[in-house]
Amino acid sequence: MFRWKKLGRIFNPAELGHGYWMKEYAQAPSVLIFDSFVRIYFSSRPLPDHKGQYVSRLGFIDVERENLFNIVNICKEPILPLGSLGTFDEFGTYPASVIQTENEIRVYYAGWTRCESVPFNAAIGVAFSADQGNTFSKIGEGPVLSFTPDEPYVLGSPKIRRFNDIWYLWYSSGRQWLHNDGFPQPVYKIRMAQSTDGIEWTRLGEDLIQDRLEKNECQASPDVFFYQGIYHMFFSFRYNLNFKDVGRGYKMGYAYSIDLIHWKRDDEKVGIGISEIGWDSESVSYGFVFELDKQIYMLHQGNEIGKYGFGLAELESYK
Amino acid sequence: MGKIFDPTNYSLPNNCLAFAQSPQAIVFDHFVRIYFSTRELDQYGKFLSHVAFVDFEKNFNEIIDISNTTVLPLGELGCFDEHGIFPFNVLKDSNRILAYTTGWNRKISVSADASVGLAISDDNGLTFKKYGKGPVLTASLKEPFLVCDAFVTKFDDQFHMWYIFGTKWISDLLDNAPQRVYKIAHATSSDGIQWKRDAKQIISDTLNENECQALPTVIKANERYHMYFCFRYATDFRKNPERSYRLGYAWSNDLISWTRDDDNSGIAISAEGWDSEMMCYPHLFNCDEKILMLYNGNEFGKFGFGLAELEV
Repeated sequence: MFRWKKLGRIFNPAELGHGYWMKEYAQAPSVLIFDSFVRIYFSSRPLPDHKGQYVSRLGFIDVERENLFNIVNICKEPILPLGSLGTFDEFGTYPASVIQTENEIRVYYAGWTRCESVPFNAAIGVAFSADQGNTFSKIGEGPVLSFTPDEPYVLGSPKIRRFNDIWYLWYSSGRQWLHNDGFPQPVYKIRMAQSTDGIEWTRLGEDLIQDRLEKNECQASPDVFFYQGIYHMFFSFRYNLNFKDVGRGYKMGYAYSIDLIHWKRDDEKVGIGISEIGWDSESVSYGFVFELDKQIYMLHQGNEIGKYGFGLAELESYK
Repeated sequence: MGKIFDPTNYSLPNNCLAFAQSPQAIVFDHFVRIYFSTRELDQYGKFLSHVAFVDFEKNFNEIIDISNTTVLPLGELGCFDEHGIFPFNVLKDSNRILAYTTGWNRKISVSADASVGLAISDDNGLTFKKYGKGPVLTASLKEPFLVCDAFVTKFDDQFHMWYIFGTKWISDLLDNAPQRVYKIAHATSSDGIQWKRDAKQIISDTLNENECQALPTVIKANERYHMYFCFRYATDFRKNPERSYRLGYAWSNDLISWTRDDDNSGIAISAEGWDSEMMCYPHLFNCDEKILMLYNGNEFGKFGFGLAELEV
């Protein structure tokens, strides 16, 4: 059982956002730790276009290492370009997962494109930073994880990790589009792929997490970390339809594994939920767990899938 | 040998009215089955390409039969092949027939994307079942879109695929819509499902860097490999015969490096008639000691396909 103590919201783009592209939403936080500061990457959005459609851009804030609520820097421009005409990431880069290895910093992200019969499709891209994570550039215009006979569309929510010199990518895989009276909705489940270089991937080809709400439950943001001898996954799940209604949106789920392949779902142990009032009173989701100076933290987004920013919780106890 | 099939003279399945594009053959003992893509108009007034076939006597003068049911259904909602299958490349593999499909799906900022799927027939090619809902070959890091026009064959027990990949979408002031540029590439496989590829253009351009190269087809003859394909300008190619599809030719001794040699293709558009404005979508096959080539003519095959015999 985890017990998380909420410390409050760190960042709300509506109050502190910079520029045309950071008007609202600060989604899917992901962290790199530097000597004197912690960099929190997230995806933000300009206001929607005349059709109500959004694009999503990658940015970051830097917070003081000793006081994670003290914002010392906000990036001025998006740090990853959108794709060119007709490419998989022409209309958005969200969510993103940043990783630092001995000699490089990479970001894995879901790229968004717009379609006619369904509203969108997504595939997973990779980009590299040559300037300590200030900006990222792509090594190709296409995706690094794309569709297969068994994973036909909507590959999103990448979470990149390295354990024992193997690259692991957890992600959401679209299983079906529901017609839903002309407003198609995708069903997606959590899956995993492995790699020796992070470029060529071998997929496990199985849904990892049992459904709890319904057969068409949507599962996303599979955040995996190793702690006290086993692997833990905090993920997000919701009902498929009418998910903007209270009680049907994203909640945090939990599962554990000893081999990174077989996972036992046990949401009772998640130890974090919605607040009674405020910015995360309806939904808590898209967790990112990290260790900093011997303390375990979780960043998470709040109501309306991060429209009003993200906050921080610290681990009080684990048994 | 001229035009051998006009789809507007026959009743076709799936409410298809015209077009018999990218003809591709399977040779049986007593007849030749030629698959092609034909089109219906959907409820929005846009085309959907469907696969059909026609069976010919081996003299190619008499038609034995035309498919009257669905050979392979289009993909379900959101799938790569929801809005059409074209072309449809067939290959006998022991007692099955493999089909490498190009599936189309419509997009917003550009007209469509395409990927290569696999379908398998256990009834001599009357019907096919898909190997999964998704594609076997699709966009990758260095091949960002429009991975299509697969031609698969086996040499020395290895599967080879020639296909095309999109390199860019360019704006076209005449057409007021982005136009695509694509190039020919090569992949290999031991099982026909998992493919190795390196995103390299293998056929040099002759028109300009925006030359569009499509539908490669390869055959071995006289200890050399021969490839036909079609190529055109990227823009103003639909109505302007000067910029429309022509057949190109290249040869190789090792299946890796290819020498483009269009002057020796031995075939060119006619002075008049059904293939006087363009020639496209070639398909080479062996039939009783002969090497034959199916291809489309004017208007991208709206009014059918023809046949030519290679005189070596």
